[in-house]
Amino acid sequence: MDFYKNPHGRVAQAGSPPETAGCESCHGPGSEHIAGKGDKSKITAFSLLPPAQVLAACLRCHAESLGRMQIRRSSHTQAQVACNQCHSIHKAKTPRSLLAREQRELCYGCHSNIRAQFSLPVKHRVNEGVVQCTDCHNPHGAAAPAWTMGQRPRMVEAALGNEEPCLKCHIDKRGPFAFEHPAVRVGGCSSCHVPHGSANARLLRRPAVFTLCLECHNGAGDFGRQGDGIQQTPLSHNMANPRFRHCTTCHVRIHGSNGDQRFLR
Amino acid sequence: MKHLPGFLVFLLPLAAQPPAAPSTETVGRARGEDFGNYNLVQSYELGVRFHGVGGSESKYRSDVNYGNGVRLLASRFSMSSKDGSGKFFDELSIWTQGLGNDPYQSAGLRAHKNHWWRYDMLWRSNAYFNPGLAVAAGQHAMDTERRLQDHEFTMLPQSRLKFLFGFSQSSQQGPALSTTNLFDVRDDEYLLFTDVSRRQREFWVGNEFKVAGIKVHWIRSWERYVEDSPLRTDGLQQGNNTADRAALTRFSRTEPYSGRTPGWRVNILKQGRSLWGISGRFTHSAGRRRFAFDESAEATDRGGATRSRQILVGGDALRPVTTGHLTLSIFPTGRLTITNHSGFHNTRMEGNASYAEFSNASLAFDRVDFQFLGIRSYTNATDANFQAARRLQLHGGYQYSTRAIRSVEQQGFTGFTDRFETRQENRVHSGLFGFRLQPFGGMTLAVDGELGRQDRPFFPIAEKDYHGLSVRAVYRRSSLWLSAAARSAYNFNSAGISTHSARARTYSLDASWQARDWLALEAGYSKLHSGTVSGIAYFASSSQFSGARSLWVSNIHAVNLAANVSLGTRVSLSLGLSRTEDRGGSFPAAPSPESAFAPAQQYPMLFQSPSARLSIKLTEKIRWNAGYQYYGYREDLSRSLNYRAYNAFSSLLWTF
Repeated sequence: MDFYKNPHGRVAQAGSPPETAGCESCHGPGSEHIAGKGDKSKITAFSLLPPAQVLAACLRCHAESLGRMQIRRSSHTQAQVACNQCHSIHKAKTPRSLLAREQRELCYGCHSNIRAQFSLPVKHRVNEGVVQCTDCHNPHGAAAPAWTMGQRPRMVEAALGNEEPCLKCHIDKRGPFAFEHPAVRVGGCSSCHVPHGSANARLLRRPAVFTLCLECHNGAGDFGRQGDGIQQTPLSHNMANPRFRHCTTCHVRIHGSNGDQRFLR
Repeated sequence: MKHLPGFLVFLLPLAAQPPAAPSTETVGRARGEDFGNYNLVQSYELGVRFHGVGGSESKYRSDVNYGNGVRLLASRFSMSSKDGSGKFFDELSIWTQGLGNDPYQSAGLRAHKNHWWRYDMLWRSNAYFNPGLAVAAGQHAMDTERRLQDHEFTMLPQSRLKFLFGFSQSSQQGPALSTTNLFDVRDDEYLLFTDVSRRQREFWVGNEFKVAGIKVHWIRSWERYVEDSPLRTDGLQQGNNTADRAALTRFSRTEPYSGRTPGWRVNILKQGRSLWGISGRFTHSAGRRRFAFDESAEATDRGGATRSRQILVGGDALRPVTTGHLTLSIFPTGRLTITNHSGFHNTRMEGNASYAEFSNASLAFDRVDFQFLGIRSYTNATDANFQAARRLQLHGGYQYSTRAIRSVEQQGFTGFTDRFETRQENRVHSGLFGFRLQPFGGMTLAVDGELGRQDRPFFPIAEKDYHGLSVRAVYRRSSLWLSAAARSAYNFNSAGISTHSARARTYSLDASWQARDWLALEAGYSKLHSGTVSGIAYFASSSQFSGARSLWVSNIHAVNLAANVSLGTRVSLSLGLSRTEDRGGSFPAAPSPESAFAPAQQYPMLFQSPSARLSIKLTEKIRWNAGYQYYGYREDLSRSLNYRAYNAFSSLLWTF
């Protein structure tokens, strides 16, 4: 089984006693299994265990791993997705993480609606293999996001310690800037963009930029930074003129600016 | 779902619709070759790509971007010591994809010496061309390449005392276009050229140890960001409005922007036998950037007057961010898990900018700006997971969040200061519930719901009164796997003239069938519906339209089909189809009176990509692969972006 190539095998090679690092550390005493000529019912066979027991068995060693700090409250645990539904201990197909298949194929296996989003023309390059689901998500559960209100998104891991994961690649959007666009900092990137895929340019929520902007900049209610409605576009912005429907032609630094509070430069 | 059955593992590669190359076929389970105390396994797929495009090549490059040429489509090399006592290392793994000028390239390396050290590296490159499309009237085209690299070095990886070192770099380089509006809103906009150059580097050191049963993991990091993307235009430019008299004669702008973000991350974990566990995570980072901005322009304004203007801006921006999370898990019985999660987040953003403008029209103008935006939030969530019976599991939870936002906007002119300060608070209450039921063997039914209320959202399209429901049924029997899912999410956010209503519904049907040893089939269909009505207000032709509506409707139908056929022991054929169509739709609500809004309320388009791949085993170690993938894009809003393209490849895969 080429077990010496497996990370679990290397723990055994490292000199740990067999009951904590060898086959029996996971599968239990194996003498009856051997006597039974490979009878699976005589050992702890993970393929026959209920999800909760699989999780408990793996966490005996992996509970104190950093990336699994939130596994008890993760959506996958609540959905009874056990470790061996994604990881193949003995027949892993990936050089890292002992995955049973390429990562995107594993995720698409259950999240077919997400596969549909990545099949749209404008998307992050997950199908092409240069971006992975785990660049943004932690399948083992993540802490409540620090960049937005509440608990959602649930399985998205902070980047750079405590910021939205988009900023790991989109470095120019990180700031800080002298003039921040509050929607970006208070609501996060998903205020205007969809993260997976879209028919719209630049993963925007709308095909035309002006509708996206106007849906917030309507002066209504007690929204916004000043608490009296987000500033409506002025009289000079004549929406009947196509020129004013391309907001970012002038407001080029819409994610944040150092040169102008209206993001003009 | 107890486990992935073997046939499903085989079928899953069909589920995705990745590019036709690199191939997924192998020549068999490579056992490698022994070399001294090491075992070596190698695999290389070398091929050549061809492509052709009819229609908008720009849009093809934006969506697909594969070109022509010879590539190392994929490779994998691993070297493992057989007894765990290799002289220099016990494991060396290298894997690559797309090297040789594919737009999407990556390489990874892992080296490991038992007891002593482990090194992980991941390098990625993503060449992205964006023709601007709907943004800024198509004038913000960019042809840049992002490169990311991550290095992690761990000393004593298998001991209780570990030392951690890391380095990450992210960069973006390449030409791009931008625009500027000069003088005032009634004047003209001009196209600018910029050479994008951005780089972020982060170094970190850390340590992991265990004391009194508590595992402590800390990292100290230093991030450095540098950006210098000067903008310019050469020669006379008439601007976007060629009918007016405004013209740009000369323009240049330099705006170097750089700074550091030192940070701390501390994690603690403690497992209390089998009854409880606690984990905490605390971070602090103190981002600081300094900038200078020098812009000079010579132009003719809309009145025909010659204008020259110079703008100088200098200053700095600070953003300290502090977060803390604490999670307590308790397991009162073997069937019940209760977790309580608390999160604290504090961000303070401060920006100082001194602005000076010199113009032949208004002479000199000085201003000092100060802005502060502080966000402090606290979240507490309690979740319970209960195995009520062998075939029934229940879970539920309650979450409370509160957020305070403080804002200061101050402008100082000569002898005058204008300051505006506000503070607001916002609370969210939400509840979760769900169950998993296995009514009979092979069948699983999952239901999840969420209901939330927010008393003062920050912006009109944010979640306020929202709820979501998800139902999923999975049936698995022998070689057949069926899945059906439905999800819905609704949000209502109203205030005064603004009423925002958003609804999203998703339906999915998926099936996998291992019909024969030599035939595997998969089919998937998803419908993604979303529709929003948002209150808007704007001016058009000197009239104000308040209480108007912005509508958006999208009905995406996505189909994925795949078949994998083995012809004898040597030949395999893979066929696939990905078809995604947004049919738009109609809305019962009346659109905005301004005619420009009508075409923006839906975006019908079709994107489809059938593919085929043939793989023939030539020898025990060599396969020949050939593939073809067609791409067709069609949209109704702007037909100039439609294209039809193909990608083909031929490769040899050598595994030993």
